[in-house]
Amino acid sequence: MTTLSLAKPRPRPLISWRVRKLLIGYSYLVPAALCMLATVVVPIILAIKMSLYADVLYKPADYRFIGLGNYVRLVQDPVFWLTLWNSVVWVFGSVILQFVFGFAAALLLQQAFRGRALVRTLTLLPWIIPGVVVGLIWQWLYQPNYGVINDLLIRAGWMHERLAWLSSPDTAMAAVVFANVWRGIPFFAIMLLAGLQSVPDELYEAAHVDGAGVLARFWHITLPLLRPIIVVATATRIIWTFNYADLIFVMTGGGPANATQITSTYTLLQAYSSLDFGYAGALSVVLLVVMLVFTALYLRVTKGVEETA
Amino acid sequence: MDERTSLSRRKLLHTLAGTGVIAAADLAWWDAPYIGPRKAWGAEPVRFQWSVPEPTRIALMNSLAERFNQSQKDFAVQIEYVPQAQARQKLISSITGGSPPDLCQVWDNWVGQFNGMGAVEDISARAKSWKHYADVAPTAWQTVTINNQIISLPLAVTLDGIYYRTDRLKELGLKEPTPDWTWDEFLGIAKAFTKADKNQYGYGMRGGGTWALLYPSEFAYANGAEVLKDGKVVINSKEAVDALAWYLDLALKHKVTPPSAATDGFVEIVETFGRGVTSMYQHNSGSSGQQKKNVGADKFATLPLPIGPANKRASFWFSETLTMFKGAKNKEGAWQFMSFMLEDEPSLKYNSTLGLLPARQSILKQPEFANDPALAGFVNSFGIGIVSPYLAYPGWGGKIDSDGVPLIQQAILGKISPKDCLDRFADILKKEMS
Amino acid sequence: MKRRHVPTDLAERVLAGPVVWIGLVLLTAFALGPFIWMLLTSLKDRQELYATPLQYLPVHPTFENYIDAWTSPVTPFSRFFLNSLWVCSVTMVATTVVSVLAGYAIARFRFAGRDALLLIFLATQMFPSVLLIAPLLTQWRALGLIDTYQALIYSNFSFTVPFTVWMMVGYFSSIPRDLEESAMIDGCNHFTALCRIVLPLAAPGIAATAIFAFVVSWSELLFAISFTTETSMRTLSAGLLYMVGQYEVQWGPLSAGVILSTVPVAVLFSFLQRHLIHGLTAGAVKG
Repeated sequence: MTTLSLAKPRPRPLISWRVRKLLIGYSYLVPAALCMLATVVVPIILAIKMSLYADVLYKPADYRFIGLGNYVRLVQDPVFWLTLWNSVVWVFGSVILQFVFGFAAALLLQQAFRGRALVRTLTLLPWIIPGVVVGLIWQWLYQPNYGVINDLLIRAGWMHERLAWLSSPDTAMAAVVFANVWRGIPFFAIMLLAGLQSVPDELYEAAHVDGAGVLARFWHITLPLLRPIIVVATATRIIWTFNYADLIFVMTGGGPANATQITSTYTLLQAYSSLDFGYAGALSVVLLVVMLVFTALYLRVTKGVEETA
Repeated sequence: MDERTSLSRRKLLHTLAGTGVIAAADLAWWDAPYIGPRKAWGAEPVRFQWSVPEPTRIALMNSLAERFNQSQKDFAVQIEYVPQAQARQKLISSITGGSPPDLCQVWDNWVGQFNGMGAVEDISARAKSWKHYADVAPTAWQTVTINNQIISLPLAVTLDGIYYRTDRLKELGLKEPTPDWTWDEFLGIAKAFTKADKNQYGYGMRGGGTWALLYPSEFAYANGAEVLKDGKVVINSKEAVDALAWYLDLALKHKVTPPSAATDGFVEIVETFGRGVTSMYQHNSGSSGQQKKNVGADKFATLPLPIGPANKRASFWFSETLTMFKGAKNKEGAWQFMSFMLEDEPSLKYNSTLGLLPARQSILKQPEFANDPALAGFVNSFGIGIVSPYLAYPGWGGKIDSDGVPLIQQAILGKISPKDCLDRFADILKKEMS
Repeated sequence: MKRRHVPTDLAERVLAGPVVWIGLVLLTAFALGPFIWMLLTSLKDRQELYATPLQYLPVHPTFENYIDAWTSPVTPFSRFFLNSLWVCSVTMVATTVVSVLAGYAIARFRFAGRDALLLIFLATQMFPSVLLIAPLLTQWRALGLIDTYQALIYSNFSFTVPFTVWMMVGYFSSIPRDLEESAMIDGCNHFTALCRIVLPLAAPGIAATAIFAFVVSWSELLFAISFTTETSMRTLSAGLLYMVGQYEVQWGPLSAGVILSTVPVAVLFSFLQRHLIHGLTAGAVKG
């Protein structure tokens, strides 16, 4: 439907086209950037400064610059390394499962069937509730004495003894990951569902005509075209989950005996229980650096948001 | 090109403008408070943070604040309700941000830390010239006195006792224990109560929260141990280790505790007793009102903590306080409200509604408190009450939460020995003694 | 009109048929399980809630939990509802607009510092928001914005925009450039090309972004509690926590509140999900 038309001769602009393009690009970013600066960047810089001081709130007389003192303490703190390991388990366990099940959900919800709108809405629900309330609900479900999970499992005959899911170091982490997966599947389902819509039908048809089966079409067409969205969704989700303290805080408080203590809940504890803001600042900065490095590498390896084809 | 779905430039710009305008507009017509006590003209506001909002308490505090506001024209109290889990965070953030509320309701173990931050107002002068100063029990004053300065007003006091099911005791045909019962009797009753196949356990041990460490400490005192002696930390003395071993055996050897003990906080121990899963638990009088609703007032009673092998016992005082901040803008108003809350009628109403014990002894003698079997155990414990030794240093409170509780959890799970647990805990306490 | 695709190989027939049905059933059961429990709980009175052994279906279903929650003067859910609705709607609109613009710019224009900017946007999410509360509180108090909708909207906005910009960059990147380029050869400038061609194609992505912005601010808790003091300004998530008492969680009113809080988002989503349909790109690419 493209009609050939002569390009209209453009008058010589005052500013060169190149610079103009640049300015337009930047102007699109200004509102976002301003807000970032005011509400996030400045507090982060303040927190970095905080980490260089011995800042225990109830010892104001001891407040002084100690340079890397908090960081040295961090490196020597066995609980910190434990929380780092727990964080890795927590993040990758949750995100991988959320991604796999979310993708499956997106594929399912893409099919045309009666009542699709309703099913899509229902599967969105776990995401809507505030994290703290999700924690309370799952804590109640996991309750060994009057929780639904134990009750159903025993009635079905699959278990004979009541298991204290959140009180046993062996099962606590798996239990909180499970609750997190429940909460996070809708995120991937929606993101990937939106992404799936932009894959043109013709490509599938052409491949079908060429004799490619369902799995081959999925592997060679869907995945590559979805790559930018998969990378964005997983990267943002990984970062978000690293910092997500609410669920664990409510369900186990980091226990039992630090079995579910992740670095961000440990930071919270240092800040608001021990009132050691210097150490908490150092923990946050380290976490920030770890995630920056990880993200940079992740984007490079997956070729990030480079455009497809 | 599909014309229907194209967005005209004009429409887009209009939307942008609309968003900006709405976001920046001052929504004055929606700002008027929907509920809350009406302010008298010219009354100075008193900002009061309340840290345990739940429907009963909110209604109670609103009505008390309303009465205060109507009884005088100079001050008007505005209450801010902050959900419990966020209350401490919010107080700390507003203190460090330089704008604390005028007054807040907090527990005594928080006050020490706030005082260490230099945030709390010294009210010694006001308290000592207050008309009810002598009526408040000396131990209650001790819980809010640091370095001879009174820094807060005790609103309600309580200490720990044991709740137990009287109906189940009758069913088992056991004798009702006397207030002077011993550890052996306690163990015997706990074992008799335990029927694991019926999902019933003798003692709801607490593994989560600060008090998970304080309850075994109280038992340790019954064995002759102490936390601080002559200024030195002796929490890991032989008597303390033995007492902890006995306490942990309840879970590890005799199995009279439910499987969730290691992470049960106060909500859980109250709820499991309320649902009949446990038949005894240790707590202060605060949950007595709750249990009357859950179990029924005729089915339970309370006792002081049992006497230990050293023929001693102790229970830690715990007070709910009203604390004024140094950065408060309206100190006189705050003090007026604080003293109002401890007048006869407000104090009676507050404490009897919530099952707490008033700090003023004359009110304590009233029949609501003296004749209630659910409160008997606590009233009988006054003679053995001591100020919690853990209030001695401001740094201890936080360390108990972050380091001490994981230790006791490991001990309850049997992963470390009682001696190991107490030795490490002693080290932590010693480090914070500056 | 899409031609109905006839499955020819076995794998496809299996996957399209029973697998889809079983999958859907499992998916809905998993997502809904706890909700069904919440719904049942909200219909029970106190006695049935505490009954042992565990009672599943309420013998005498009652709506008192809902009525209590909605009309209670001490925890006015109706007011919390309105507050949340307002704050989240404004946040959603503002976030979507800003991130569409920014996302387009980053996806299409090559300029110096593009990658660094992306990383900085993401880095704002890498810091625990709890530690940011103290400085933010000072800021809002200095500006006189405590107990206003603005403070909540700005704070939510600042935290959703980095994510949504990233998301829009992803969605725009998967739309081939050729379409705009052919439109620009026809005489459009960038902005018109954006409005007329790219936006309709990116509609699924925009819908997803809008939902994301709404849901994230709907369930946001920390800012709502930190930047407001009056009960009348609290949002729904903060209001739900009023049901967590000192010695018990009031499951009756809490579950009623949870069910109530899912309604607006469900309604919003059922409108927006219309855009998550296939076929908008049909006929767009030739050759």
